[in-house]
Amino acid sequence: MFLRPNLYTSYEAEVQILPTYTKKVLAAIGIILLLLIPFDIPLITSATDLPLLRNIPVISNGIPPLRFLGDNSWLRVLDEALIFGIAALGINILTGMAGQVSLGHAFFMGVGAYSGAVLGGVSTSSVWGWNLPIWIWLPGAGIGAALVGIVVSPVAVRLRGLYLAIVTLGLVFLGIHMSNTTWGRHIAGDPGLGRDFPKYDIRLWKEEAPLITINDDGKWFGFLDVTDNQKKYLFLAVLFLVFILLAKNVARTRTGRALQAIRDRDIAAEVMGVPEFKYKLIAFATSSFFAGIAGALFASFAGKLPASQFSLALSVEFIAILLIGGVGTVSGTVMGTFFVVLTPKFVESFTEWLADKTDGGGVSAKLAEVVISTGPGNQGPISSAIQTPGYPLNVFDWNLVLYGVLIILFLIFEPLGLYGIWIKIRNYWKRWPFSY
Amino acid sequence: MTLTEQSKPAASGAIEVTTVASLARDWAARTPNQIAMREKDFGVWKEYTWGTTWDLIETAAHGLLALGVEPGDRVSIHAEDRPEWIILDLAAVAVRGITVGFYPTNPSAEVRYLLADSGACVHFAEDEEQYDKVEGVGRTAVPDVRSIIFVEPRGMVGKPDERLLFWDNFLDLGRQHKAQHPTAVADRMAAARPDDVMTLVYTSGTTGPPKGAMLTNTNAAFCIDKIVNSGERVPGGPPNPKDQIVTYLPLCHVAERIFSTWTMVGAGPVLNFAESIETVNDNLREVQPTIFFAVPRIWEKLHALSLIRANDASWFKRKVLAIGLGLAKRIGRIKVANDGNHTMQSRILAAIGWVIIFRPMRERLGLRRCRYASSGAAAIAPEVLEFFIGLGVPVFELYGMTENAAVATANFVGRMKLGTVGEPYPGIGLRIAEDTGEIQVKHEGVFVGYWNKPDKTAETMTDDGWLMTGDVGEWVDGTHVRIIDRIKHIIITSGGKNISPSEIENSLKTSPYVNEAMVIGEGRKYLTALIGIELDTVGDWALRRNLAYTTYRDLSEKPEVIELIELIVQATNEKFARVENVRKFALLPKQLDHEDGELTATQKLKRTAMLDTFGDLVESLY
Repeated sequence: MFLRPNLYTSYEAEVQILPTYTKKVLAAIGIILLLLIPFDIPLITSATDLPLLRNIPVISNGIPPLRFLGDNSWLRVLDEALIFGIAALGINILTGMAGQVSLGHAFFMGVGAYSGAVLGGVSTSSVWGWNLPIWIWLPGAGIGAALVGIVVSPVAVRLRGLYLAIVTLGLVFLGIHMSNTTWGRHIAGDPGLGRDFPKYDIRLWKEEAPLITINDDGKWFGFLDVTDNQKKYLFLAVLFLVFILLAKNVARTRTGRALQAIRDRDIAAEVMGVPEFKYKLIAFATSSFFAGIAGALFASFAGKLPASQFSLALSVEFIAILLIGGVGTVSGTVMGTFFVVLTPKFVESFTEWLADKTDGGGVSAKLAEVVISTGPGNQGPISSAIQTPGYPLNVFDWNLVLYGVLIILFLIFEPLGLYGIWIKIRNYWKRWPFSY
Repeated sequence: MTLTEQSKPAASGAIEVTTVASLARDWAARTPNQIAMREKDFGVWKEYTWGTTWDLIETAAHGLLALGVEPGDRVSIHAEDRPEWIILDLAAVAVRGITVGFYPTNPSAEVRYLLADSGACVHFAEDEEQYDKVEGVGRTAVPDVRSIIFVEPRGMVGKPDERLLFWDNFLDLGRQHKAQHPTAVADRMAAARPDDVMTLVYTSGTTGPPKGAMLTNTNAAFCIDKIVNSGERVPGGPPNPKDQIVTYLPLCHVAERIFSTWTMVGAGPVLNFAESIETVNDNLREVQPTIFFAVPRIWEKLHALSLIRANDASWFKRKVLAIGLGLAKRIGRIKVANDGNHTMQSRILAAIGWVIIFRPMRERLGLRRCRYASSGAAAIAPEVLEFFIGLGVPVFELYGMTENAAVATANFVGRMKLGTVGEPYPGIGLRIAEDTGEIQVKHEGVFVGYWNKPDKTAETMTDDGWLMTGDVGEWVDGTHVRIIDRIKHIIITSGGKNISPSEIENSLKTSPYVNEAMVIGEGRKYLTALIGIELDTVGDWALRRNLAYTTYRDLSEKPEVIELIELIVQATNEKFARVENVRKFALLPKQLDHEDGELTATQKLKRTAMLDTFGDLVESLY
């Protein structure tokens, strides 16, 4: 009700995703910004010309926070974040909402990727492929993963916590080994190189010219030049929004409440009349569906990928996303995804900038030299090279260290993750001028 | 809209008498889809449109006819505030019955007295708890009760009592009756007369057994005309259908009846029923009423709540609150000194305060959208009102009593004087007797007498037909009335000084730590006080000092707590003349309670009962 946001006259009003006018406006602005990111908008770009801002390292590197990205290397990272976001929303339903700790998310992504590849890929002498259009292979990838999820789910009814984590962990290795079998190679291709995955292009059926091309540069409305990267970003952004809506809707329905009841205490939930078997099955199926879609998108985005990519490390990354972002909430998951996927890129640009600084002079060069090691003589903790023989860790290793430290810190100090920090800030102002 | 416009010729050509029921019917005819009431049910506010409401009222009225309610028969209602209260009340008036409201807290003995005294034939006991009070007294004590309607079936199934009737079945009875006699209710309504008694409002009975004041249709119409639809009273015009009201005080009390039922039928705002008295704060926050009436006890609680929470806030918030509350105080002073109007300075201060704390604070209190608030039914400390005025809640004190349908005085917009109860309503008779200083009123709202107590009625009327209110008052600036105290409460010390205890008591109660105070001194050398601490706040205070306690009594006996109250008494003493100083005080060893006979249903002190119960304590002070 206008002016009285807390006066609910129906349950529907109470579970609205955007209950107030302000939230609707903010959400609309957010969506518009999200969709504008790939375009280079001059007005905002010109902020980098301001003398004050030019000296800030991130901005002088061409990544001003105030500018839309245009087509640059950051767009690819964002694409990856959007894909991982969809997968993370899936594991949030299973682990966050239903409380079933799963390390097998990478496996379900793999199942999705190869279901999609078989349905939509091109058949060659070594691999199978039916060359079906995207509107079949993308949902097919999700459904394929969901079916496997349903098969696995009875295990979750018998096992809890750590034991379930170990069983799902086994799935990851099982998956990688199966891709090495004779028929596995017909699906996954060569274990070292992988196979070609279908492209995002939208076709009605198997015609030559796609209805909408996404993998080529083009011109929209006759004047707007769009590159394939920008197109891919928009395609993924729209999908991402759809899946956020799906995840939000799962959370606020009867199913979502049942899953949360099971998470909080499965026996109590069952006593209250929540069928545990049915809802754990639903949780696995939904979560795997999200993973399958994300897996297919991820594989297609990479173009060519060996099956070993769907490894334990990938699963752990999703656990990191959940813990850092905030377990059990959609907004937390989204925050976590962007944090985890974008941080390496920030660390990378930071080390690049430091490496540049060592060539300069003055205090900043001295400082940079302490941190960075550019050659055998320097002994800073971060190596600017990818492969280093000495003890300095390279950027990628530092990212792993960073995750580890962050997970520990979040578990100790802010178990609700980034979302928890946000909630604390929000409550501080919501309770203004009192403290409770 | 005045009442005369709403009165329309009945079919026979005679002018139909306006009753609260006919007003409800007219709203339903004019705006059937507009919301009339909301009740929170399983966490969601269930809405009743005027169409549904009138349909229910008419059905209930047919149900009453089916139960054999004749004109002048009493229908008693013993329930918390809920839509059925209003529906049955208006239904009873529609069939020319008389509504009698009981306080939900009335213990069995009082229920027995009220049922026997009023002779109600249909009794509404909402649930098992209220039914048990009737059942407990036995049938012979209340022989007139033929039917007992209940609405909460829990625990009521299988009770061996043929008087019982479930609300839904009662409505079914009404529907059947309506099918057979479709115009029966309309006929009764057309036959209504202006001098029909429409309700008995029992006084709280601070001194003796409660007396049922008879109010007629004329009284109600006069009250609606003077209070509800008074344009001068409410900033931004009289109540209208866009207004929101939270109904939470007992509907049997004349004040809540006027501010809920009569305002609803008179002006059409939405009534939102609070879930219970404990949830009022939450419900206020949800509903954010535009019109709010509260008794001083509630205002004191809201005031205490704000101060305690301000005290508990984190460091930065405390600093901001200190600034904001300081601003509120200054604004309050400026506005009070200026008849309730803003000056340039107070407007600027209010704008600053609005940004930093007033807006969120009023939101938290549920008074963000409040365009008119009032305090009545008892005396309130001016400091409390000043606080709310400073926050920007336009709160006005008004004065009235059951016997004059609450029509006496009110503070009007732009002419407010703090510490007074305002000016007499235009066109009514109000005088202050020269010898006793008693306030006397005469107008169409004055009741016709006490039910079955002609002697008591005669005692309250002067020979020339003025109602003696029993309150001592004085004129302020020739226009406003200040109430000094109840005549009966005025203390004459052995030194011959006349002292009004209420002012001292209210000043004591301004502190969040004091819940109850009773000043004693009749025929004594000096004044003393019995003080009851507020368990929540003093308990909180004690916890902060690592002061362990077990019960209320244990807490009141702590020397630290006595010291705390000592400081409050001293602060109060500084505000009064030497003879009015409280020399000694004692803390009450128990929380006062209606059931134990120390308080009335409206939480007023029963002074004689208090002196009986705590006689030893009082003697120890002299």
